[in-house]
Amino acid sequence: MASLDSLSAAQIAAGVAQGDFTATEVAQAALDAIDSREKDVQAFLQVSADLALEAAKRTDARRAAGEKLGPLAGVPVAFKDNMHLVGTRTTCASKMLANYDSVFTATCVQRLLDAGATPVGKTNMDEFAFGSTTESSAFHRTNNPWDTGRVPGGSSGGSAAAVAAGEATLALGSDTGGSIRQPASFCGVVGMKPTYGAVSRYGVVAFGSSLDQVGPFGRRVEDVALAMNALTAEGADPLDSTSQNCAVDFLEHLDDPVEGLTVGVVPQLMEAKGLSQEVRDALTAAVASLASQGARVVEVELPNIASAIAAYYVIAPCEAFSNLARFDGVRYGYQEPDCQTLAEQTSLSRAHGFGEEAKRRQMLGAYLLSSGVYEKYYYPAQQVRTLITQDYARAYQKCDVILLPSAPTTAWRFGDVSDPTQMYASDMFTISNNICGNGGISVPLGLATQSHMPVSAQLQGPAFSDRRLLRFARAIERGVDQGLGLGGGAPVAPDFAGRGGDL
Amino acid sequence: MALSQDDVAQIADYARIALTPSELEQMTTYMNEAVDLLEPITHYDLDGVEPTFHPIGDLSNVMGEDVVDDSVRALPIDVALHNAGSTHDRYFRVPSILGDSEEDF
Repeated sequence: MASLDSLSAAQIAAGVAQGDFTATEVAQAALDAIDSREKDVQAFLQVSADLALEAAKRTDARRAAGEKLGPLAGVPVAFKDNMHLVGTRTTCASKMLANYDSVFTATCVQRLLDAGATPVGKTNMDEFAFGSTTESSAFHRTNNPWDTGRVPGGSSGGSAAAVAAGEATLALGSDTGGSIRQPASFCGVVGMKPTYGAVSRYGVVAFGSSLDQVGPFGRRVEDVALAMNALTAEGADPLDSTSQNCAVDFLEHLDDPVEGLTVGVVPQLMEAKGLSQEVRDALTAAVASLASQGARVVEVELPNIASAIAAYYVIAPCEAFSNLARFDGVRYGYQEPDCQTLAEQTSLSRAHGFGEEAKRRQMLGAYLLSSGVYEKYYYPAQQVRTLITQDYARAYQKCDVILLPSAPTTAWRFGDVSDPTQMYASDMFTISNNICGNGGISVPLGLATQSHMPVSAQLQGPAFSDRRLLRFARAIERGVDQGLGLGGGAPVAPDFAGRGGDL
Repeated sequence: MALSQDDVAQIADYARIALTPSELEQMTTYMNEAVDLLEPITHYDLDGVEPTFHPIGDLSNVMGEDVVDDSVRALPIDVALHNAGSTHDRYFRVPSILGDSEEDF
């Protein structure tokens, strides 16, 4: 008897194609796992059992008819609840959209479904993706599967936790300042933010339009590569004007050695204030592992990266304020009853529909875009963005990828970080990549020595070199499998493994 | 210079977010802390540095043929109205934008 906990996405798809088990059996096993595990992890805002079983039935019918199955045939996938999927609500974990039914399906979601995936549900998140712990969800918190007293990270915390708890084999998240890579690190799974434009954002509720990017979570690098293929194979999406044609086979060079390639390390970041010793130690081991596999290690400088948080917290709130202006309570979203004027209805709908952090970010954006302030902060922030981008371009003349932490610490306990501006600082290692539009991936290194929580390395690379990032990520995973950390890719968290999910 | 509660109240009005007095007080504290965090931006000499409004350079707009294609994007009226708080026949329904009585004109 097989368990979904130990099967990769490729193994599930192959098993369905070969008739070892049916897609319906896989869907049922995933739903059983969710049923027995969800009360402890609370990763989902909505479990779409009907959609899952219907999709699985279609996959099985295709096989019975002798049709070729997609590369994700029968693979259980979960979607962050800012992605539209007809037949589900899309709430962005906000009271504003508590009853919002998806009226169309996002391209990223559709492409995974077209590849044969089985949609098991919509995952919890920080409200409108504003946050780093998923605690700003208007509905409930999500627990870290490795220690349910700790945060899963955010904003895509539900997607990371669902994969770490073995409730889904793959999940999609979105990353505006680290919202895929940081929760992936906290939950001990692989999480990739592809290059800006690599994945269509059509049907994904916008936060920061020059920063947002959709990407996959999985427990193995190979699964993430498989998802990247499904997301990009059809090329640029005509429904998203920022979407780029970057279709390559992400599996093709996955297992190639990294011998002769160069990994950059930034001394200034490895000494950064706030970086915990156990994370620094794990990173040192990851660098040594790559070196032992023949990669050259060089030091590179990113002198302006210290200003990345400041630049981000100018640019992102301004874009968020602009994007969230659409929530006026008229066409969709919470509508305050019994208002006499439209202005009153708008102000009260927004006051009562949005949570605290969503209001804070919009207020900050409104201020920064106002006359006089724009010239002091907004325009200079976009100039500093140029400087940071140039820093990276110079660094990538000396190395193929840069290795750095995904987050300064492992997952903290609920309540340990509550001050919003202190929370913002936890994105210090991820945010600069969104500012430049480059790709990044978080790869598990096992458990940290002090907190015994998952710790990860982040790899960043030049724009549209995501395939090389995956190759390096796979090399780190090989190092982990050979004794650097837990081994076996990133396993399902032990408290959740084996509870339902048998095939 | 720190933002006062009056300043923040004006921003809230502009942002169309009605804040209660206690929310206004907390928001003022937050706004000042957040703006302090942005300080590094003001320390640069940025003469001659071009801004980057879009992260991936050398991109241009994707242009489509000027042909109506309802099959792809147009929402049927019932679908478009489905999520609205109030509707009337084929329309979204909103309160008066000019006030509720003729004296307001």
